[in-house]
Amino acid sequence: MKRPLLLAVALGLAFLLPSCKTKDSYATGMDGDFVDGVPLPERTDGSSYLGGGVSKGQFSPVQFGFDSFEVSGSEMGKVQAVADFMRSSKQNMIIAGFTDERGTEEYNRGLGERRALAVREKLIGLGVSGGHVQTVSFGEEMPAASGGGEAAWAANRRAEFGVVR
Amino acid sequence: MMIRAFCFLFLISAVALAQDAPTITVRKSDRVSLAVSPIGGGSGPGVTKVLQNDLDLSGWFELVSDARASFTVGGTAGGGTLQGKVTDNSGATVLSKTYSGSDRDVAHQFADDIVETITGNPGIATTKIAFVGTASGPKEIYLADYDGNNSRRLTSDRSISVAPSLGPGARNLAYTGYHEGYPDVYVIDVASGARQRVVKAPGTNSGAAISPDGGKMALTMSKDGNPEIYITGLRGGMARRLTRTRGVESSPTWSPNGSELIYSSDNGGSPQLYRIGAGGGAGSMISTGFGYCTDPSWSPDGKKVAFTVRSGGGFSVAVMELGAGGARVLASGQNPVWGRNSRHLIYSSGSNLNLLDVQSGRTTTIVSGLGKVSEPTWSF
Repeated sequence: MKRPLLLAVALGLAFLLPSCKTKDSYATGMDGDFVDGVPLPERTDGSSYLGGGVSKGQFSPVQFGFDSFEVSGSEMGKVQAVADFMRSSKQNMIIAGFTDERGTEEYNRGLGERRALAVREKLIGLGVSGGHVQTVSFGEEMPAASGGGEAAWAANRRAEFGVVR
Repeated sequence: MMIRAFCFLFLISAVALAQDAPTITVRKSDRVSLAVSPIGGGSGPGVTKVLQNDLDLSGWFELVSDARASFTVGGTAGGGTLQGKVTDNSGATVLSKTYSGSDRDVAHQFADDIVETITGNPGIATTKIAFVGTASGPKEIYLADYDGNNSRRLTSDRSISVAPSLGPGARNLAYTGYHEGYPDVYVIDVASGARQRVVKAPGTNSGAAISPDGGKMALTMSKDGNPEIYITGLRGGMARRLTRTRGVESSPTWSPNGSELIYSSDNGGSPQLYRIGAGGGAGSMISTGFGYCTDPSWSPDGKKVAFTVRSGGGFSVAVMELGAGGARVLASGQNPVWGRNSRHLIYSSGSNLNLLDVQSGRTTTIVSGLGKVSEPTWSF
């Protein structure tokens, strides 16, 4: 009688395990709120996305929906390409987050940062060390496409990659 | 007859407003009649002009000729001083004081004393505002008198300088600068111009709000892997984390006594206002009835919050009485900030900064011609 029970427990555990694994890295705390992402590494002296020491344009920017920081499945190919590069090259990366102009400025700075961090989390999920990935937000500054309209807005909702030289 | 009809119309509109939101509405007839005699002396004309404008913008007075006035303002100005005097309609002196400083400064000081003496409310004429302007090309921080005059550019970073916050008495100004390639928080000693980069943690550091006591800052930092609200000292140092969500927390504003904060969080999907104790705990959502709420500003009397609403592709300025509910849209524009009288707001609208008297609904453009202006802050 004991064996079927053990088997049932084992089966139950086997079912539980994958579901634990697919749960994203947003661990929940004792009171159910968000505990932490992966802390950012110290900045690399002498290089910044704005200031220099960084190669831009090597990878396609990841695009986002309006007011969203979710990395959609269709954008994961771009993230995968960066992950493949980083695993072999061991270079540091700065991810710069941007928004369209349709939000308020300070919220957009936060949203841009959240987009960069969302991409960083995906990279970490693909085996890249978080210690090699820095983030920065420019909010609605430095748009990729000027002017209004859905096409420009969509192009501006992005996270760009800069390889630290 | 005309006046009576006007008062009647105003009463009706006041009642209509009262049904929308429990905002205190001052009827025009509640304004105190005041006569400003031209100030004598060499600096008289200049001081008179500034003083009249201050008293008019204050919203408390109806400026009239001497005969009908409840109070009469007069004085002499020259050589860097102003001897100001206010008498009531019995001839008794209710205020007599000497001020020193520039013509504008002495007029502002006198105006605030008049407001406080006659109405018991704090004046706004001696306060300062700061904002982002693009007159020189890139976004830089500008400082000005509350009426938009006397403006000067504080930063010359030629990068991106944004999100200014003035401390009490406009002694310090915190802002977000990309000077070193990352958004960091800088604090400027306004009198000396000395600047320090005080928060430079990994990631994005932005949107600092100096506490009412001038000793702390609340801001957004992402060093721990998510944009959250932290509290740190005015000179940086250990940052204490306040919020813990998956979403974006931004734009904290302090309660008058510094014990609580209101901020914006999109943890529920789109940005909404939340209220949290400065010591920690869980943020509780403030129900505004609007889907996109950012840039809260807590009034110095503690009773109201002003914020930006996004609807129909545009931005509006809204005000809500805390505890009562019923947010009310007051103007088209964004980023409202309260003056220390909890009666006036300054907000941005394209290339203008506007001053809005929330009680009368009167709007005055105070800044224009400095490019696209945004993110005003107002000292207490």
